[in-house]
This record gives sequence, structure tokens and C-alpha cells, in this order.
Amino acid sequence: MKIAVVVQRYGADINGGAELHARYIAEHLSRHAEVEVLTTCARDYVTWKNELPPGEERVNGVVVRRFPVAHPRDVGRFGRLSHVVFDTTHAIADEERWLESEGPTSPALVAHVRKSADAFDFFIFFSYRYYHAWHGARAVPGKAIIVPTAERDAAIGLSIFAPVLAGVRALMYNSLEERALIEHVTGRTGPGVVVGVGSEIPDRPDPRRLRKRFDLRRPFAIYVGRIDENKGCAELFSYFERYATMYPHGLDLVLVGTNVLPVPKHPRIRHLGFLPDADKFDALAAADVLIMPSRYESLSMVALEAWALGKPVLVNGQCDVLKGQAIRSRAGLYYENFDEFAEALYLLEATGPLGGILGQSGRAFYQAHYAWPVIERKYLDMFERLTREPGTPMAPRPGWFARRARTARPGAEVVAAAPSGAVRPR
Amino acid sequence: MGEFNVRSDSVDVDEIMRQIRARIREKRGADYTEQELQQLAQVKLERFIDPKGIRSDLVQQFRRHVATSPSLPNFAFGEDTLYETHRGPVAAIRKLLRPILKLFFNPDRLTAALHIQSQVNEQAQERLARQEAREALTYEVIHNLTVEVTRLGIETHNLKMRVESLSSRLDFSERRARSMEGLTPARSAQPQRPQPSRQPAPTAPAAAAVPGAPESAGPLNASSGGRPDAPAGSEDGGNGERRRRRRRRRRRPGQTLADRQASESSSQSGADQDQSVDRADDGWSDEGGDAAETGDDRGGDSIDAGPSDDSSDQ
Repeated sequence: MKIAVVVQRYGADINGGAELHARYIAEHLSRHAEVEVLTTCARDYVTWKNELPPGEERVNGVVVRRFPVAHPRDVGRFGRLSHVVFDTTHAIADEERWLESEGPTSPALVAHVRKSADAFDFFIFFSYRYYHAWHGARAVPGKAIIVPTAERDAAIGLSIFAPVLAGVRALMYNSLEERALIEHVTGRTGPGVVVGVGSEIPDRPDPRRLRKRFDLRRPFAIYVGRIDENKGCAELFSYFERYATMYPHGLDLVLVGTNVLPVPKHPRIRHLGFLPDADKFDALAAADVLIMPSRYESLSMVALEAWALGKPVLVNGQCDVLKGQAIRSRAGLYYENFDEFAEALYLLEATGPLGGILGQSGRAFYQAHYAWPVIERKYLDMFERLTREPGTPMAPRPGWFARRARTARPGAEVVAAAPSGAVRPR
Repeated sequence: MGEFNVRSDSVDVDEIMRQIRARIREKRGADYTEQELQQLAQVKLERFIDPKGIRSDLVQQFRRHVATSPSLPNFAFGEDTLYETHRGPVAAIRKLLRPILKLFFNPDRLTAALHIQSQVNEQAQERLARQEAREALTYEVIHNLTVEVTRLGIETHNLKMRVESLSSRLDFSERRARSMEGLTPARSAQPQRPQPSRQPAPTAPAAAAVPGAPESAGPLNASSGGRPDAPAGSEDGGNGERRRRRRRRRRRPGQTLADRQASESSSQSGADQDQSVDRADDGWSDEGGDAAETGDDRGGDSIDAGPSDDSSDQ
């Protein structure tokens, strides 16, 4: 079996959520099938500038073929078109212009996908919202599998995505909430499975080494990821400062990751910067609890890693996916305001009544659903199923006049009308 | 407040969250539940009430934003406004051609729309003026709140310092009480223990009646100023105070009592004595130092006996 993984960026040092997800999947599927990665020369997800050389290379034993991006993103144009398609009634042509302006616009990559359709059994496209996935899936609809990594934002409400998401052979979801949202918006009834992704958890992380290296003496809660307002970090800082006043002997806050947002100067907030994987796992093992303040997540890999290490998680309850995972895993609490944040964080301290119990549940949840043998088996089962079952044709692109009729609803309005909330275990 | 009853095999996150919310409600009290609709406004207010969260330049910042907007020009639109001109012949021509213009479009609708727009502009201007007046009032409220919060902050700070002071005094009193308690059995055992320097003078006859009583009571009595009628406690206290004053005089700045005594005792005694002095000094230097100043006139017994008792406690 020969599989192509098509993703917007790829590399051992590229750590975006979907990109890391794609790399892990490619590397693990390469044990069962011949895998080739098709990607762009871009490294930066904002500009999509060509920074890596086009052509073939190997990354951790997997063949990677890179294609140039035709033009970098024009941020101003992208912003204007985003407003048009998300907030106003518009035409499908506007949405296609928005997709083209979002990038990474790589016609060469799409042409290669179309040309090599017969060479691969399946094409796994990552991130439904980018140029490569939409055009690529339309190029090989009978062999396309999409890992949507969809968040509850206005993009999923755009009308160009519904026929593509409904018409591909299969969708590999990250969570039950993502599945419910996509099935509602697109009306999809075809094959799909909630898979997610595993992680490379070290056998013996060494929390003492990290504590010694960074002189961390007090118990702490940890945040791992880009320190950005979009990730909920501004609210996290505000809440933590109030918590620190309420609980002078409570947890400190340790931040791991590069910062876009300035980190407040507070005696109980430490920013360690970007850490390599080994140090990141040491830091997670040293922490009492992981905090995930983001409102928009399709799957938090860091939360899974914390659970794998037996640590409970405190998540933003306004993110359906995180809240649902906390409920289903029985390994985390959620907050929707400051009072809940402070009370839950207090209860999740390692010496508190809940930290240890929820941590154990998290470890069991990870082993049951996100250990690599489980993930690999779900992909292989899906390939077998798709090989047996015939596919349904994808709806064609609308004609010239239909694309220009201003009848498409604002994306934000479509998403707002979709049912929300965490999916609870039956 | 309810405790959490969670078993590892039956964790229900929703149930835990319900318990957490119940605890929050308990903490807040019943009154708050009636005002939940106004929570947003309360949250905003909290920022001003919290003295630690208040910005010192809040009033200046607010003042900067409170400015009266200049009134925008407005036009009154009537039926003929579109055709008005100060040139007479042009006005005549326009009037003449008006029916022809009406063949192409309906200018009355345009006039009506612009007339309505003019009224809307007027109303908007009035609303803006009212809003700016309200902002001035809000400014007053925030200004007063800021002043009040600052005052409360200072008062809280003073009260905090006062509590700390009282706490240290209480600590000292407790130590002193413990020392006194330790001293009482020592006194009751004095007839059996040969401690000449601590024996009270006025009871000399009784002491003399005890076989083996030390004779140094006489010189000690003489050194207390030759007051044969002075009570025992005061004499001993006076002696203790004198000794303490001497100690203080001999202590140089930057030198602790332990340093001083250690240097003195190095020529007199061995390592065991040094150790006991160090421990005694620890007992005083932590909190008794300042407190001893305030408690100077409360008797020397405790001060003599205090350090040794404290050191045994620590």
C-alpha cells in the first residue's frame, strides 16, 4: 500500500499542531505502508514564504517532496476578504478568493497530486481550510482522506468546504465535538472515525533535572504552547494574578513556549522559553497540573501528553473540544470564569484531593485511546474499509454564474447556528 | 463547606464541577445569586475596588478620554434645497428644467431621504451630547472611587502593620510567660540548689537558717544599693537590669550579644558554653531583640532566665 500525506508545512523542527500531527502519522504509518509526504517549501504559517529548497529529502526516514509556494500571503487582502466571507452575505467566488489569499498557494503541489493520483492508494490531506487540502481533495476525490483539524471558527461555515468535506472518502476526526460540528455543517454521512494522535512519550522523564536547571523550588501549574492572546493567555495571566493573591501558598505558573504576548512580571510566573521535547516532558512531569486556556482547539496534544504522564488538566470550558475531553477522560476540570478557575486549580494541586485521582484517569484514557498501536490500527482499519467499499462522487464546483451569485451566508452566522457543547459519554 | 467525595473508579467531572459551583455559591453568599444578571457590571467594578489592581494613573487616563466632541455641521433639507443657488439666472433655469429632470429620476425621494438623514443627524448629536454629559458624571464617580480606594488601601496597610506589631508583642509575651513558668520550679527548688547569685536578700535570716546556705547573699545585697527593706523581686530585677545595661554598653555596633560573649568566654570557658550562648542569643535576636526593649522594666528575672528557657524550647 502506498500513502501520500499532504500537509501545508513539514519538518522535524516545525511544531505547529497539525504539522506535528502529520509528521507523527506519516512516521508511524511508514511502519505499515510506503509513505511519501507532499508539502510546500514554507516554514512560516503567516507569510508562507519559500524558505526550504524544493525537491526531495528524507525526514526521520520518510520521503518528503517539497513544492514552491506561488506567492506569500498578503495579510491586508486576507484580512479584508476574511471580513467579507465571515461577516457578510457574499458569493462563492469571494470564498475562493479568500482561500487563495490564505495560502499556501502552491499550484505545483496540486498539479503533482493530480498527476500522481494513480501512484498512491490514498492521499491523506491535513487541515481542511488550506489551499492544498481543498484543491488537492478536488483533484483526487476518490482517494482523498481528510484530517480536518477543524476548530469552531467561522471558516468551517464557508460554503466551499461543505461539498469537499462531504465528498471525500473518509474523515479522520480529532474529537467527537469536531465530528458533530462537521456533520452538522456539511451534512456528511460517509465514513469517518475519531482518531486523534499519539505522542512520543519518554519512558522516564526527569522532573528533578528540570527543577534544578531552572531553580524551580515551588509546586507549579504549567502552560505549554505559543504564548498568544489567541490561545487565551491574556485571560490566563489575568486569572492567575488574582489566584496568586487569593492563594499566597498556592501554585506558581510556569510557561513553556515562544511568546507573542508579553509575559507579565510577577514573582510567581516563570517563562522558560521554548524547550526541546526532552525538557518539555521533564517540565510536564514536574508540574502539578497543565492549564489549557485556549478557546479554539481541535485537539490539544499537550493535554494528551500531560495525561500520558499522569497529570490532570485544567481547560477552558468555552472550548467544546477540551471540555468534552476533560469530561470523557475524567482527567481534568474546566473553568468558565475566574471563581471556577481558582477553585479548580486549588483542587488540582498534587497535594489536593483530586490531582492524583484525575491524573490516574488521564493515564488510563491515554493508553486506551491515544497509544500508538490504537491510532495505527484505526488508520489501517479505515484503509481496509475504503478499499472494500465504493466511494460516492464529490459534488462538482458550481458554474461561473452560480459562483458569483451573492447568496452565501456569512461563515460566522453558519457556525453560530450549529449546535455546540461538549459531547458527553453515554 | 462540603468535602469532595471522589473515588478513582467513579470520577464524574460534571459532578465535581457541580460541587465546585456549589462551593463558590456558598462562599459568595445567597445575596449574590439574585444579582447574577448584573455580574458583568460587578466584574468591572471589582477592578476599582481591588486596591492591588488599581492603576495609580487611572484618573489621568480617564480624564484624557473625557473630551467634548465638536458639533458636526448639519444641513436642513427642504423641497428646494437641491436646486438652491445664489445666482438668480441659474435658479430660474433649474426651476425651468425641473420637470425634465423628473423624467429621469424622482428627486423628491432623494430630498425626503436627505431630510430624514438631517433629522437623524440632529438626534445623534443630541445623544452624543447627553452621553458626554454622563461621561463627566462617570468621571466624578470613578474619581471619588479612586480616592476612596486609595484611602482604604492606606488604612489597610496601617492595620496590617498594626496586626504584625501586635503579633510580635504577643509572641514576646508568650515567650516571657513560658520563661516565668520555667523559673517558678527553679525558685521553689532554690533551698536545695546552691545558686548564690540568685538568692533573695531579705530572706537572709531564713536562708541562713538553712544548713549550707551560701554566704554570698550579703555582698549581693550590698551591691544592690544597701536597701535592706527592698523586696526580693525588685532587688533581683534591678541587678538583672544593671547587668543587661552593662551588656548593652559593651556591645559594639554590628556585634551581637553572642559575638561579644563568645569572645569573652573563649578565654574563660570551653565549647559547650559558647554553644549555649549562641542558642540564647538566637532566642533574643529573632524577635526578643525589639520586644526586650519594650519589656525592659518588667523585671529582670525573665530576662535572665528567658534565653536559657527559650533555647531549650527551640
